[in-house]
Amino acid sequence: MAWTQAVQRWWQRRHLLNQQWTDARYVVVDIETSGLDANQDVMLAIAWIEVHPPCLDYQSARYFVLDSTADKNHDLKQSPVVHGLVQRDFNESSDSKLVLHELAQVLEDAVLVCHHTHLDWQFLQVAARHHEIKLSPLGWFDTLQFELRRLRNQQHHIPRGSLTLAAARGRYRLPDYHAHHAFNDAVACAELMLAQGYQYAGSAKASVKNLLQVGRVRL
Amino acid sequence: MKQNMQPDFAEVKRFLLDCPPFDALTDDQRNGAIEQLKAAYVNEHNVDKFFNDFSPALYMVRSGAFDLLAPDGHLIERLESHDLFGYPSLLSGRSVVNRLTVVEDGIIFIVPQPIFDRLRRDSKAFEQYFIRAHSQRSLEEVARGKPNSRQPVTVDPLQTSIQEVLTRPPVQLPSTTSIRAAAQKMSDEKVSSILLVDDGALVGILTDRDLRNRVIAPGLSFDLHVNAVMTQAPATVSGRQTLMDALTTMTQNNIHHLPVLDENDQPMGMITNTDLMRQQRSEPVMLISALNKTVTREQLIAEAKQIPAYMQAFASRAANTTVVGRLLASLTDTMTRKLIEFYEREHGVAPASYAWLAFGSQGREDQTLSSDQDNGLLLADDLNERQLSWFEGLGDWVCSGLGDCGIPLCPGNIMASNPECRRSVAGWVERFTRWTESPTPKALMYCQIFFDSRMVVGNKRLYQRYRAEVARLGQNEFFLGNLARLQRNVQVPLGLFNRFRGTESGKDSDLIDIKRYGIALINDIVRIYSLQAGLTEPRTLARLEQLLEGRLLNRRDNQSLAEAWQFLTQLRLQHQLEVWGTEQPKNALDPDQLSTLVRRQLKTAFRIIDECQQGVAMKFGRSG
Repeated sequence: MAWTQAVQRWWQRRHLLNQQWTDARYVVVDIETSGLDANQDVMLAIAWIEVHPPCLDYQSARYFVLDSTADKNHDLKQSPVVHGLVQRDFNESSDSKLVLHELAQVLEDAVLVCHHTHLDWQFLQVAARHHEIKLSPLGWFDTLQFELRRLRNQQHHIPRGSLTLAAARGRYRLPDYHAHHAFNDAVACAELMLAQGYQYAGSAKASVKNLLQVGRVRL
Repeated sequence: MKQNMQPDFAEVKRFLLDCPPFDALTDDQRNGAIEQLKAAYVNEHNVDKFFNDFSPALYMVRSGAFDLLAPDGHLIERLESHDLFGYPSLLSGRSVVNRLTVVEDGIIFIVPQPIFDRLRRDSKAFEQYFIRAHSQRSLEEVARGKPNSRQPVTVDPLQTSIQEVLTRPPVQLPSTTSIRAAAQKMSDEKVSSILLVDDGALVGILTDRDLRNRVIAPGLSFDLHVNAVMTQAPATVSGRQTLMDALTTMTQNNIHHLPVLDENDQPMGMITNTDLMRQQRSEPVMLISALNKTVTREQLIAEAKQIPAYMQAFASRAANTTVVGRLLASLTDTMTRKLIEFYEREHGVAPASYAWLAFGSQGREDQTLSSDQDNGLLLADDLNERQLSWFEGLGDWVCSGLGDCGIPLCPGNIMASNPECRRSVAGWVERFTRWTESPTPKALMYCQIFFDSRMVVGNKRLYQRYRAEVARLGQNEFFLGNLARLQRNVQVPLGLFNRFRGTESGKDSDLIDIKRYGIALINDIVRIYSLQAGLTEPRTLARLEQLLEGRLLNRRDNQSLAEAWQFLTQLRLQHQLEVWGTEQPKNALDPDQLSTLVRRQLKTAFRIIDECQQGVAMKFGRSG
């Protein structure tokens, strides 16, 4: 029966990818890590919020400080200082297995959105494999890649720093956010993704697939 | 182990704390609301669907700008960051009929109805905010004189009603009493003045000074009736008026005793200069009497130099800002009279009857510390060269004196030192006729200044003759039609932030001039109604009060205009106190520096003005 389920699933996904981009569900994720190497470093915190265009749904907001440091017996590098996390936060940290399990569920049939998806996805994959959890989003959308492509298309010289979340938001006149925190970054990224989506699609019909082409990720 | 930690909603929280009435909620109430929020990215492609799908709800603009339009397409409100909308439908249960359009893409928060209802139940402040906003009474708090920012305001003694400070019943006699008996009565009662009352009606007043100047000095018989020497038909106040009213009336008439009447014009007592002085902390009275005590131009200037410092202390305490404008007008009046007195001492008394006229803000008694002079002279008919040159000297002397006292010369040269502003009744009428019949933009601008006039000192009958003629000219329909069209030319800003203002209203500036785009426009609107009604009162709020009796301006608009005017003058005063002694503009505000609540109130005031401008254009603009 497994193959019929697989076909059904393939069919279902095809259908979802062909629907209007505004009818799809998006999960915008931001993680904080102890470094940049997914094999060496660990996730310290994770936050996500679901988007049903044109809305961010605060009811779906999640934020977890993870206990993976304990797992790997890891030292906290400088990153936690940046993110404002202190040892105290880890005393109340969450079991990363349960968290990834919940994430896997919300990602089912939804598009994963990050600013610089490549990095986040690597960390998520490593952690998921560790716990034998399968993350299989409908697709990936990278707000950074979208911005990069857009600026290149306009034949812009792309100065350093113009692809940061804040700089990209500024180009869409989205409000300045000051707090640096996984959840705020997830919200900031979610708003940016909506602005990009509407700018890309305008009033024309655009499918999820179309949109993911522009915000596609080299994984 | 803790599962889902509360996400740190720092950004939303910070936003809500600056977005009344959410700032009045407890942390728990606010967090509970945040968990139920939705934030929509709204743009031209999804705005209709958005507004349709989520209504009714309470909406809060986080960024961008949107226009809320009535079904007939007219703009109800331009919504910018921190503005709220959608609540009228939540409160009334009526379906949403307005439309939303996008000026600039942005984020709008949605508070669903169940959450809105829960917050209303749980927080009284939240509930009250929306009830007030819905009944369009958001300026009421300001209008009632409640402070809306910074320092707490103490009770201003000048706002006390006169009847509260009257200490004794009136000392009165019939006007047929002999002078001797009247003097005896005054001596017995230890009063410096007495009311003369015939058949319950006040007919005159007699003071110590009258006895000295009109009886003893000319050597009159003490057996004469007092009605031969009393001041007939004296200026009066009503017991319900305030001490400020009493002070202004005294200063304007240059008198120290003022009979007080009740609602039926029955004498209630007498209020004197000394009574006012006795009121605690009444610097205004001290200031005026200090000016009055000076005997040379130099002394007067020296005293006048103290005024700004005094005013700053006084204004920051004044509960009701209209008092400040009136006080400044009174001070200017006093300086004017003193300067005239000094001039007469050197050049002899006036060779003919005249009236010194105050125009513009001094006329309206809404002067500020930066207002410049607007004055003129009304002269008796057919004066000869010598008489004219006496008045020319007077004009020069007083205007330059006022200038030295700190009241800037008028850049438009609307001053009694200008021969154009020294005219007989016929001369003034000729000018007003020219303005009203061939209304060039410049003429209409003059009208806005000259039609707000008041006599500072002089011959009352001469002034009344002039005022009646001018009032008649002001009723010309063709002229009113032109004024109505002119006032529509200056449009209030739609939004507060420069790229959303939408009109010429200082579009390129970060600042908004609330005099030009606010106070002056209300003055213009109210002036048109007053001219039509033939009112001679120059003060805007007093005009509105008199207009309540008429039909043309409905009660609601009348009240709204009064509230908007008070709000704006208060805001301007606060601003002027803040920029005191700096080079910053005195009438222009930076919207970024205002609290969210004040910004919303400012928009409400602009909206009221806009609606009333349309009303004027409709009622008057057609003729001519």
